[in-house]
Amino acid sequence: MPIKRSINSLMRMDWLLFGAMVVLAVGSVFFIYSASYRGPGQPMPHFYRMQAVWFGVGLILYLASTLIDYRLICQWAAVWYAMAVGLLVLVLIAGAKVYGARRWLVWDSFGIQPAEIAKLAIVLALSYYLFHRTPQLRRRWGTVWVALGLVGLPLVLIMLEPDLGSAMGLIPIGFGLMFAAGVRVKHLVLVTLLGLALTPVAWLKLKDYQKDRLTVFLNPSRDPLGDGWNLNQSLIAVGSGGVSGKGYLQGTQNLLGYLPRTVTPNDFLFSVIAEEKGFVGSACVVGLYGVILFSGLRIAMNARDRLGMLLATGVVAMLFFHVFINVGMTIGLMPVTGLPLPLLSYGGSFVLASMTALGLLQNVWIHRRVY
Amino acid sequence: MIISAPFRNSNPRLVVIGVIIGLGLLTLVADLWRVQVMDAEHYGGRDQAQSLRRIRIPSARGEIVDRNGVVLANNRPSYDIAFYLDQLGPVSKKLDIVRIAEANLAVLSQALNMPVTLSDGDVRIHYERRRPLPLPVWRNLRPEMVAAFEERASNLPGADLIVTPVRQYPLGPLAAHVLGYVGKADQNDDADVERFYYYQPDSAGRQGVERTCDEFLRGAPGGYTIRVNPAGRKVGDVGRKSAEVGDRVTLTVDARIQKIVEDALGRTPLAAGKELRGAAVVLDPRNGEILAMASMPNFDPNIFNPGVPAAAVNAVIDDQRSPMLNRATRASYAPGSTFKPVTLLAGLDSGSISPHDTVVCNGSMQLGNWPRPFRCSSWKQGGHGAVDAIAAIAESCDIYFYQKGIATGVDAITRTAGEFGLGQPTGIDVGHDLSGLVPTPTWKRTQRGEHWYDGNTAQLAIGQSDLLVTPLQMACMAATFANRGTLWRPFVIKRIETHNGMVVRQTNPEVRNRLHESPQNIEIVRTAMLAAVQSSQGTAHSAAVKGLSVAGKSGTAEFQLREGRINRTWLIAFAPYDEPRVALAVLIEDGITGGSTAGPVARAILAGVFQKKAEDAGIAEGQFYAD
Repeated sequence: MPIKRSINSLMRMDWLLFGAMVVLAVGSVFFIYSASYRGPGQPMPHFYRMQAVWFGVGLILYLASTLIDYRLICQWAAVWYAMAVGLLVLVLIAGAKVYGARRWLVWDSFGIQPAEIAKLAIVLALSYYLFHRTPQLRRRWGTVWVALGLVGLPLVLIMLEPDLGSAMGLIPIGFGLMFAAGVRVKHLVLVTLLGLALTPVAWLKLKDYQKDRLTVFLNPSRDPLGDGWNLNQSLIAVGSGGVSGKGYLQGTQNLLGYLPRTVTPNDFLFSVIAEEKGFVGSACVVGLYGVILFSGLRIAMNARDRLGMLLATGVVAMLFFHVFINVGMTIGLMPVTGLPLPLLSYGGSFVLASMTALGLLQNVWIHRRVY
Repeated sequence: MIISAPFRNSNPRLVVIGVIIGLGLLTLVADLWRVQVMDAEHYGGRDQAQSLRRIRIPSARGEIVDRNGVVLANNRPSYDIAFYLDQLGPVSKKLDIVRIAEANLAVLSQALNMPVTLSDGDVRIHYERRRPLPLPVWRNLRPEMVAAFEERASNLPGADLIVTPVRQYPLGPLAAHVLGYVGKADQNDDADVERFYYYQPDSAGRQGVERTCDEFLRGAPGGYTIRVNPAGRKVGDVGRKSAEVGDRVTLTVDARIQKIVEDALGRTPLAAGKELRGAAVVLDPRNGEILAMASMPNFDPNIFNPGVPAAAVNAVIDDQRSPMLNRATRASYAPGSTFKPVTLLAGLDSGSISPHDTVVCNGSMQLGNWPRPFRCSSWKQGGHGAVDAIAAIAESCDIYFYQKGIATGVDAITRTAGEFGLGQPTGIDVGHDLSGLVPTPTWKRTQRGEHWYDGNTAQLAIGQSDLLVTPLQMACMAATFANRGTLWRPFVIKRIETHNGMVVRQTNPEVRNRLHESPQNIEIVRTAMLAAVQSSQGTAHSAAVKGLSVAGKSGTAEFQLREGRINRTWLIAFAPYDEPRVALAVLIEDGITGGSTAGPVARAILAGVFQKKAEDAGIAEGQFYAD
């Protein structure tokens, strides 16, 4: 009975990881509500309901990616990868232009961000590729170049949108996977040095607003009413939250619109939580991500095979990068980018990608070696 | 096809990744700790600084009442029509606030039929600095305008009727110099301005009791805190502290007597073409309470309220006659013959004068090698003849005092003058009064580099020389004779209490000095002063009131102006003679003689105070001397 087997499989999943995911998902809906709340009697934007719907859809993908054996999923890696690249090309041609960037594929009122999906496709494709190289081959340059090529193609496409943050998000996936797969550290260091050498060239290619974001990160007070505004207001929101916060729906920075309303549910949701729930709340959020990330690493260590290990490592690398950049951004540790916070930030594409990725982790866990 | 491959279990590189992730998360938590716990206060302050605005609510000033509770200063509501600029509608680049405000003002202006006096600059500055505060458009509206606004325009967006307390002096100029007036408080207190981002200034006392008791009258300003969004619009109230009404100040002044004094001064019999400039002080000689203090010309303190045209204010400030000068305390004059009681007391005390000694006055006398003869200014055909101490005071004989003054000596005279508080501020509790001047040989040598001659002593003895006194000092001197030797500190503020009746301060009468001269000698001078009024020969007889035993002394001091010589005319008095309840001094700057100019004023005051008919005493001529 396949259903009974599926249920048996599900019962074997990592419940701690699942629990952390559910808490973050519920928190997401509540704090997106807070982030779009404007006071009693004011019209309530429907973001929080949309997000709940996304979690519903995400749960289906989560179950699917948990139950369909990851080895089967990865056999189709080339297809996923091709589809992702196809979508990235399509968005460049037919994407909706928002603030001068084409990041959205829109049908009617429904839109997706191919870049978020591409992150997952790269995890799958790169894991599958590296898994297929023998340990000896992995120690050669050839493997490194192919891997870099696999990451580089979507990276360049995303850069063209342009979406610097998401493009940069692919790099730790690539490096994490190569490192875990046993690529020589010397090669990784050389590649890093090469990348740094090319940075000045890339700088010239950056759009002005991208340069601004990076320079503002270096000196947030430089332009308090311009780009520094978001960072300054986020810092004030987080800092004024204090130890225990101002209370749910009480964050003045959030409610009064000092945190810009247009981007708060996505980019600055963490600031809202930090303001309203204080250090206690924000440390809990970081702790929940810690649970997810270390669960992911435990899954990688206990994977049945190298593919499972790589898959789990790739997911962990992807999630960690997003958490670190997004949380770091709200307190001025990292530059302001549009990188969302997994599960918490408003946005369908990344919610679906994150839940699918977590499903894959559970998948690897369910199929772990059992002694 | 399910691919499987042998797998080495413990991959050390995963441990490395785990360490990197662990360090990354620790960095985040550590940094969150720094921002949210270590620097929470800093960021909390910035949060408040940018989203909270404090608005100060000025408190209503406390009342000032007279000794019987008659209100001398209180507050009335002022109705202003104001606009809340942040409620006028969306501001954009095309449609800026000045245009929007103009359009709205035009509607209101038409509805009320009143011209708009605000400039574009006023609107813009208010919009930029004090957006959530109302911008007053019309102040101090008449009741019919208030009704018109309620009827026609109160539904206009952003327009509101605002009630603010405005100081009012219900009795107009009555006791203006005692009360003082109020103006807008200075905004010098930087810390305060910062604490209250939107500052609505208090009113501050500028003179008189308003100034002296300012800290009590002011009360405690309240305030409310509002929250604003990044556009500066008010989004909510955070807190409110209502303003506390200021304390109530009860004066020693009796409004009835004050009115009598001011009316009496107003009816001063002046020579044709002369302007009234003068002062009068009425004291209670039993404790130093000031019952009335008036200075002429006076002013109406109500003109300093907002809404009064600047021209009216400037007219008072620029007036050549200095109506705002309190001549009772802030101007000093030669006392003339009103000083003679002091000389007499000094002479009696030093033994240079014996009461029954007589001096023969034939109108003038020659003194040493003085260039011109000393004249008896209360001139009679052929002089006063033989005068004793009583007659010398009563008829104000200069010759007597020239001779007796020189005999007494300058030191004894100035010492006694000092005992009456002359040459020193009286210590009145409101305003700083002048000290006047009692000249001495030392003073003359150091200030003028001149020697002191007997001629100077002779002039000092009749209250001329360089002697200067304020009307208040003379009233105190009269009071000291009245109470037989106690110099009280004069005071105006009787009691200060909170609006709910708790006494904050109560003034106790304070003895400045007790005369060391013998009661017998003081009594001789009192008797002489009684004769000066009650005797028909007395130069102060014009101050006599039927049915009242009044003692006093007139004075006429010559004063050299560029335009010519004028007379400072005085009258000091106390009554009733046996148990005096009032002592007074009247000064008219440019009178004829003390008796003819200041005397009737004093008589009107005394008659009014004791509710007698103001007419000459009925004591028959010579009756006094028969004793």
